[in-house]
Amino acid sequence: MQAPDQPAAKPAASVIKPWLLTVPAILFLAAFFVLPLIDNGMRSIVGETGGLTAGRYLTLLTDSFYLRVTVATVLLSAGVTLICVVIGYPVAYFLVRKAGRWAGLVIFLLIAPLLTSIIMRTFGWQVLFARRGLVNNFLVDQFGVLSAPLRLANSPEIAIAALVHVLVPFMVLAIATVLQSVDTRLEESAKILGAGRWRTFWEVTLPLSLDGIGTGAILVFMIANGSFVTLVMLGGGLQTLPLMIYQQFNTTRDFGMASAMSTILLVIAVFCLFLQLRLVRRRGA
Amino acid sequence: MQNGNWRGDVNQQNGISDRHADKNMNKATGTTAEALRLASVRKSYGSTAAVRELDLSVEAGELVALLGPSGCGKTTTLRMVAGFERPDAGSIRIGGAEVSQLPPHKRNLGMVFQNYSLFPHRTVAENIGFGLRMAGVGRAERDTRVQEMLDLIQLQGRAEMYPSKLSGGQQQRVALARSLVVNPKVLLLDEPLGALDKSLRESMQFEIRGMQQRLGITTLLVTHDQEEALSMSDKVAVMSAGRILQIGTPNDIYDRPQSRFVAEFLGTSNIFEGKVAPEGTSVLLPGRDGEIAVPLEMAAQPGSPLVLSVRPERVRLGEHAGEGANFEARVTGAVFRGNYAAYQLDVPSLGRELFVYRQADGPLGAVSHRLGETLTLSWAPRDAVPVSAD
Repeated sequence: MQAPDQPAAKPAASVIKPWLLTVPAILFLAAFFVLPLIDNGMRSIVGETGGLTAGRYLTLLTDSFYLRVTVATVLLSAGVTLICVVIGYPVAYFLVRKAGRWAGLVIFLLIAPLLTSIIMRTFGWQVLFARRGLVNNFLVDQFGVLSAPLRLANSPEIAIAALVHVLVPFMVLAIATVLQSVDTRLEESAKILGAGRWRTFWEVTLPLSLDGIGTGAILVFMIANGSFVTLVMLGGGLQTLPLMIYQQFNTTRDFGMASAMSTILLVIAVFCLFLQLRLVRRRGA
Repeated sequence: MQNGNWRGDVNQQNGISDRHADKNMNKATGTTAEALRLASVRKSYGSTAAVRELDLSVEAGELVALLGPSGCGKTTTLRMVAGFERPDAGSIRIGGAEVSQLPPHKRNLGMVFQNYSLFPHRTVAENIGFGLRMAGVGRAERDTRVQEMLDLIQLQGRAEMYPSKLSGGQQQRVALARSLVVNPKVLLLDEPLGALDKSLRESMQFEIRGMQQRLGITTLLVTHDQEEALSMSDKVAVMSAGRILQIGTPNDIYDRPQSRFVAEFLGTSNIFEGKVAPEGTSVLLPGRDGEIAVPLEMAAQPGSPLVLSVRPERVRLGEHAGEGANFEARVTGAVFRGNYAAYQLDVPSLGRELFVYRQADGPLGAVSHRLGETLTLSWAPRDAVPVSAD
């Protein structure tokens, strides 16, 4: 009599369904992420008079000024990404194939900049490239190469350099992870079959590490796309979407336009995430 | 000559390479060209010597196996021939030309790795054609030769597949085809069957050996599997601690081991340590009641220490060997091993146990001696092989 009843007693303990454990996180996200997002979306489509309007998006996508800002944002991110690939790949290759017992040190050196606050790092760049900064000092006073200091700080180039500085570690680690899984015997097979060092790289190593480049590129592109502090402090007036959003909120106080711009930024980010998911899925297959 | 004819046929059938045809000529005219020669090769990693003073000569068309436990230097030796490692000293000659300073891609070799190492991002056909493409062979000729190879390994329908879709045995054959299509001067096999199941391994042994003999390609095989070495090679070189201890035909190595290490590493051996008797024709083994004389096949230096190796399958049970060694023994273990039976016998007069393998009468391998049974154990003088102590 007892025995058949016993299983019935057990569910009492498992009344708490596992998914319930996620409730706090869900509530938090709903309150501080989903609701604001909906609010933001609404603000971008509700007109001054209260009716719905797609006017802001039309302006954003057709007005040449706003279009230029969007294109500049994407181009800046793409440029930063490209430079990160070019700089990061050799480092990743060295880290995985040559560093040996120094690998730990290399990884530390890569990550160390990330431990510094972004404000501090950006000030560092300003100090280096200011009118009477270190670089100009050397060029003008120490070596006399130039007669007058260069206007280095506050230019898009320095902003790009600073962004690359922050983002290269992500690229290196993404590539290194994939490179690690490329069996060196594949490279040896290519060599014994007559491929020299470069040929082996182009035919075997590079194609097999493309996934790492892809993952790193998407990551770097997304972060660069949303970067704000670096561009405010070093960009020299370069306008990108995050800067415009800030401006619309704080200076122009056109909340509707700011919301519409953040939607555009969000769409770009979601598209990147989608690309990354596809990449991961293909690798899994 | 027979070999030469055989390969001539293959040439006509498959149009396989001119270089192999040249090799046939060599063989047919009886010149035994030395295809690969290592002389006084040394290699250390830090303070550990991986290979010390290694000499090895492989004749054209021969398959030589480097056999030894892990860490004996066999893989390092192979990698030096391949060019992945530079020897610290010594010379490596392939087809008479010194290559020890050449990078791997200039050595014209073929190599098959344990895990096949097929390019995962290339199709079967692209994998096989890779070496030809590197050599600048034109598209049309490449396609023909890849097709020939696919025919040879019987994977005609798989040309456009990716390696991950193939079974282990098929990948192995593709790897073999990829290294053979470029007509390498020497084929290097690094534990080629290590990743296959036992059942597949045996048929691949035949397949690789068959193809190697048909093409007459000089081959260096690295393995830790004694059965693989014995069944696939013309010669086996047993290595230990960076040296070749003994090199010879599989038969020779198995039946006439020169050292205790070889006797014990290849198969099983009953090892006896003793001293040559004053008259020099027998060896005195320490026994329970004093020394016991065991006759030797050939006379040895009287009084010198001597180690004897007796293969378990050479020991006879239940019969008296006239002038050989005869002992009373008791069966302490009997195991059915399929094609033979393995016994453990206690020999009271020697105060030790011996291993004996017997092909039993009646059902194959059936155990025909019972535990506790007492019987005579014997071996002929020629089956006790004197070996060096190390």
